[in-house]
Amino acid sequence: MDKTTLKLLGGWLLFGVIMCLLPLVVSTGTLRILIFAHFLAIFAMSWDILSGRTGYISFGHPFLIGIAGYTTAILSFRYGVPIYFSIPAAVAATMVGGTLFFVPALRIRGTYFALVTLAFMEILYQMTKVVAPKVTGGTRGISGIETIVTGAVPNYYLTFAAMFVIGLLLWLLVRTRIGIALSAIQMDEEAVKSAGLNTTKLKLFAFMVSAAVAGIGGAFYVHYLGSIAPRGIFEINFLFTILIAALIGGAGTIVGPIIGAYFLTMLLEFLRPVLPGMERYFLYGIVALVVYVYQPNGIHSLLASARRHLSVGKS
Amino acid sequence: MAIQILIHGFLLSGLYALIAIGFTMIFSVGRVLNLAYGVYIMLGGYTYFMAAQEAGLPVFVSFILALLSGVAFGLLTYELLVRRLENNPVAVEISTLILAVVMQAAIILIFSPSPKSMWPVLRGVLRFEEVSVTANILLATGVSWVVLALLMLFVRRTHLGRAIRAVSMDRRGALISGIDPRNISRVTWGLSGALGAIAGVFFATITQLDPHMWVFPLITAVAVVIVGGIGSILGGLIAAHIIGFLETITTTLIAPELRGVVTMALIIVVLVVMPKGLFGKEEL
Repeated sequence: MDKTTLKLLGGWLLFGVIMCLLPLVVSTGTLRILIFAHFLAIFAMSWDILSGRTGYISFGHPFLIGIAGYTTAILSFRYGVPIYFSIPAAVAATMVGGTLFFVPALRIRGTYFALVTLAFMEILYQMTKVVAPKVTGGTRGISGIETIVTGAVPNYYLTFAAMFVIGLLLWLLVRTRIGIALSAIQMDEEAVKSAGLNTTKLKLFAFMVSAAVAGIGGAFYVHYLGSIAPRGIFEINFLFTILIAALIGGAGTIVGPIIGAYFLTMLLEFLRPVLPGMERYFLYGIVALVVYVYQPNGIHSLLASARRHLSVGKS
Repeated sequence: MAIQILIHGFLLSGLYALIAIGFTMIFSVGRVLNLAYGVYIMLGGYTYFMAAQEAGLPVFVSFILALLSGVAFGLLTYELLVRRLENNPVAVEISTLILAVVMQAAIILIFSPSPKSMWPVLRGVLRFEEVSVTANILLATGVSWVVLALLMLFVRRTHLGRAIRAVSMDRRGALISGIDPRNISRVTWGLSGALGAIAGVFFATITQLDPHMWVFPLITAVAVVIVGGIGSILGGLIAAHIIGFLETITTTLIAPELRGVVTMALIIVVLVVMPKGLFGKEEL
């Protein structure tokens, strides 16, 4: 392992220690907010490993999250399956869903891929309302789902641990040869192919990792909330928040989506005293739009260039 | 039943063709998908609602106001976002999607999230044998066809229209012959906004006004473009009818809730099986 990787690993360690000590100083209200930031970070990283890396933009991540959420909710609530079994089952189901995503990616890319994934999401949204409402709970969904742990502090640690482990693993993954090959696909898929790499296998791998992460996040999310409804999951707003967290933070970097998730969640909370109602989402969207249009590479690259400036100043 | 499906399918398809044409124009001139297109439809509907129903202005005046709101917002999208991101289509798509969500929040702020029902532009019901048709949907289809015909004339017969076609065929070639593609883009975005807003007035009268109403017409427009193939106006018209009829058949024979599902399934199948669309000349 080279020197910079070790240095950055130290950064991860520091981040972990600070976040673990945080419950000692902040209120439970803040912890509840941070729990949402952790879920958002998991979803945004899942989006990033697929779209930020390979350039196959997904507008359908709620589809994957919804599959995970509904699988574990139905298994545990309707059929009394214990959650340590229903969560892995949900992750497996999400990976099957990820394969469905993968089929169109063999033929099309860019915007058309994005639209197909959006169509997947909309279809599942309509289906949960119409098909077998006795099982899915129809429009009202399912509530009273078993939770894994109770209370703000245990949930904080649980979600942080999940996010931290997923983040670290993905971050290590993108630094391997596979990770580099994946980002090469974004630049020129044909060139990667002619270099003798099997792009289909590589893409399938990215789709599976993305789906697995979305599955873990989705299953934990539902067991944290204790409820699931089609309106909350398969919503453009939900998709929008995931997308923005990844983009504003810096797509393709894994660390970026985590920064983005914290930034967006904090922004929303910061606006709460000033604007209590729906106005917040209006401002929130405008901030997202301005940041995206003027700095498409996100906060991560702003921080990186700031660090470069600082180190130049020192020497 | 068959007659009813035939008539309603035909009427719905006319409106869908109008919805799709404004969306296609942007794509053929700028090679970007405008995911804020649904907003023009929503804006047209809400402006008409405010003018005709809240302020009590005459139908014609309200209609013009709706149209102008579409033009203004179309130009705004181009000037504020698209022009800055011109060489990055993915960034245009993502930023227009964000814009759509921002506008949805704005509509919720002004009009509250609850749906509003809009009066028909034209009242009354016409009967043909056993099938009854509202005068409103008949007017919607009539206006759609007139607008489509005028647009065809404009694009083929006027200098400006020909310039638009020239830019859509070969941007650099058009530039060499003294056409400013920026100006043409501006005209196209304004025109697209107007077409969306006109379609929006009728779309809102046959469904309802609500802050989420932009998603469905956007997906329909995308479906028409994908099924018809890029760069084919005739293909688009035929695709609008395929989708209109498929939807009418599903909603009358199976279940009204499945309206969008069929369209979406069609998008997936066409994209995976024949990426050029039915009549397209270009690979997507």
